[in-house]
Amino acid sequence: MKETIQKLLKIDRRYLFLLLTLSILIPILKPLGLPNKSISRDVKNIYNFMEGLPEGSTIICSIDYDPSTAPELHPQATAIIKHAFKKNIKVIVLTFIPGSTGLIDQLFEKLPAEYGKKYGEDYVVLPYMANIVAVITQLNSNLYSIYEKDKDNKDLKSLPMMKKINNYKDIKGVINITGTAILDYWVAYVGDKFGVPVMGGVTAISQVGYGPYLQKGQLKGLIGGMKGAAEYETLIKEPGKGTSGIDALNVAHLLVLALIIMSNLIMFFFK
Amino acid sequence: MKLFKKYIPLTIVFLFGIVSLASYYVPNKLSEDYLEVMNAWENIVSAFGFFLGLISLFYAHYMKIKKKVDGWGYSLFVYIGFLLMVVPAIISKGTQLNPDASLTWLGWAFRYLYNPLSATMFSILAFYIISTAYRSFRIKSLQAFVLFAAAFVLILGRIPVGQMIWDSILGFTKVTAGEAIDWIIGVPSTAGKRGIMIGVAIGAVVTSLKIIFGIERQYMGKD
Amino acid sequence: MSEGMIIFGAWIAAALTLFLFSFLYKDNPFFKIAEHLFIGAGMGWYFQTIFYKIMIPKIWEPLHSGDPFKIFMVVIPALLGLSLITQFIPKISWISRYGFTFMMGYSAGMAIPVGLATDFMNQILGTIEPFANFFALSGWQMFNALAIAIGTICVLFYFFFSVEHKGAGKKVSNLGIYFLMIYFGASFGNTVMARFSLLYGRFDTLVNYSSAKYFYATSWILVGLTLYFVAEKLITSAKRETAE
Repeated sequence: MKETIQKLLKIDRRYLFLLLTLSILIPILKPLGLPNKSISRDVKNIYNFMEGLPEGSTIICSIDYDPSTAPELHPQATAIIKHAFKKNIKVIVLTFIPGSTGLIDQLFEKLPAEYGKKYGEDYVVLPYMANIVAVITQLNSNLYSIYEKDKDNKDLKSLPMMKKINNYKDIKGVINITGTAILDYWVAYVGDKFGVPVMGGVTAISQVGYGPYLQKGQLKGLIGGMKGAAEYETLIKEPGKGTSGIDALNVAHLLVLALIIMSNLIMFFFK
Repeated sequence: MKLFKKYIPLTIVFLFGIVSLASYYVPNKLSEDYLEVMNAWENIVSAFGFFLGLISLFYAHYMKIKKKVDGWGYSLFVYIGFLLMVVPAIISKGTQLNPDASLTWLGWAFRYLYNPLSATMFSILAFYIISTAYRSFRIKSLQAFVLFAAAFVLILGRIPVGQMIWDSILGFTKVTAGEAIDWIIGVPSTAGKRGIMIGVAIGAVVTSLKIIFGIERQYMGKD
Repeated sequence: MSEGMIIFGAWIAAALTLFLFSFLYKDNPFFKIAEHLFIGAGMGWYFQTIFYKIMIPKIWEPLHSGDPFKIFMVVIPALLGLSLITQFIPKISWISRYGFTFMMGYSAGMAIPVGLATDFMNQILGTIEPFANFFALSGWQMFNALAIAIGTICVLFYFFFSVEHKGAGKKVSNLGIYFLMIYFGASFGNTVMARFSLLYGRFDTLVNYSSAKYFYATSWILVGLTLYFVAEKLITSAKRETAE
């Protein structure tokens, strides 16, 4: 008996892999359909910020994630853009990650048509740039000395929504959605230095580390991981991939907890 | 020769370091103009930095093929993968969507080649976290228990089922799982992270000063 | 892009995804191919982005603009950038120092003030600010402000006083460890969600590709991979038998 249970600890890890596969796959095929109830304070803060903006104001959305973190961050970006479109807020999209350019195109493939928004009037996508510190410092004095053209090589100044935009003074806030440390740069070089409100959408892994910036108010709000995306979707009443994603994670999360507890109980009683 | 190999580079790092540093504290037209030029230059120089990685990767796989080391055939796929992105890019002139919003060849290559490869590579880590959780997460001390307790609340409280379990057991406290998580991240974990942050900041400032004054020059390579 | 290409794309994407996952069962040629394709494709994607978004508009076009000022503004950083590449030629690798020192000087100079302001001064301010009007806070807020202050100090104590901790000092640094453990625990908890989310993303796509619209791409490829592993197993055991 004791030996059999001890053997459980050395179980071929491929059985664990199989368990995990089933625990995520089955809820995708048969969703539990449980509603996301809680909304974190930091997500609510971004929502309130967006709600408080007057129609026609402009925000910068720095979209810096590649496919490796897209399942967490793409729903966040989608929810933010939807909210902006609903509220008639204009969006300037920047990026400092080569891999995100394809995802940005994917993001704006269908959304503008759904909300009756036009490129150049309601949103504009700027090309990839290599050095974030250089670019975001420069945006404080003159945007056009770095970005002369948009991502499709159109003269940026000729686009209607850019007529009144020159630098951060014409921007109400920055939302950076990223799976990298790029948000740290926005906080340090733009939020702290120039006083522009900076908000973030990050992977769950890095979410916890932003506690100090949130407490000090250097970050005005934060969306963390798939749960954060689900919360934002709940707030704007547009359930999407975040909501269905967090529903699919129910069983897998319980599985991890069960495995940690089980292995420790075995260690405690049988070793 | 020492002048060109050593002293001029060290002067460059010192000058650009000091002037960039000063430009932060002296906000006037001159420092803004300086930064504008530097920002434009820096953006271009860092783009070249990418080629360092590209060349060393290509060279490493070229050597594998040349020496016919075990599994050298796979190295060919590095070049194939590269061409699978670059050739469509040339055909589509670097754009991913046609004016009618349909995919170009480059857009296709991103969506059906690069996207699944990159996303799957990282998603495999999920499997390792579950085997780590089962095999190495051992609660042997009070410290380990505290770590586990924080992890437990976060893992449970993030999912709707967990919130229901929480409410049925701890509902009487009037504290929801979401509030408990907000508190853990906002108070004790913030204190822990802030301690690390201050420590790292001091280290980073010292290293930066060492670089500017030419004390730290490992990045320059050997003489 | 035609509908046919989209369906073909789904087959390719499903295959590459399953090839990479097949490693979890055991290492195999399909995984190796997909893995190497990933390395190459990642570089290729990066290359084309740099080429079309920076090299052409920021270097090539200004160089051909005929405007001497524009040309000057590009030639210097381009030369500095090119100097980096001499790193691969041992005899003249010292030239790369010009590019590197320029980058290091600029970034070190930029990093010092923000490091001091954002991660040092502001963090100290954030810790003491709540005490400015401490008695206006609610009891719970007072407790939290104290917890953050005490926790931060204990963690710093743990890191910086690397002398052997004894007596009161040991207690302080011990308390610091508990705050760190909560931070690490919370990070681990969130890492679980993050990793599983990525896996959900892939599975969701695979399920999508297994629909009739894509001619059951996922299912067919899965069957194919399974047959491969069965065949491989049969062949190796047959070989072993003949050897014996």
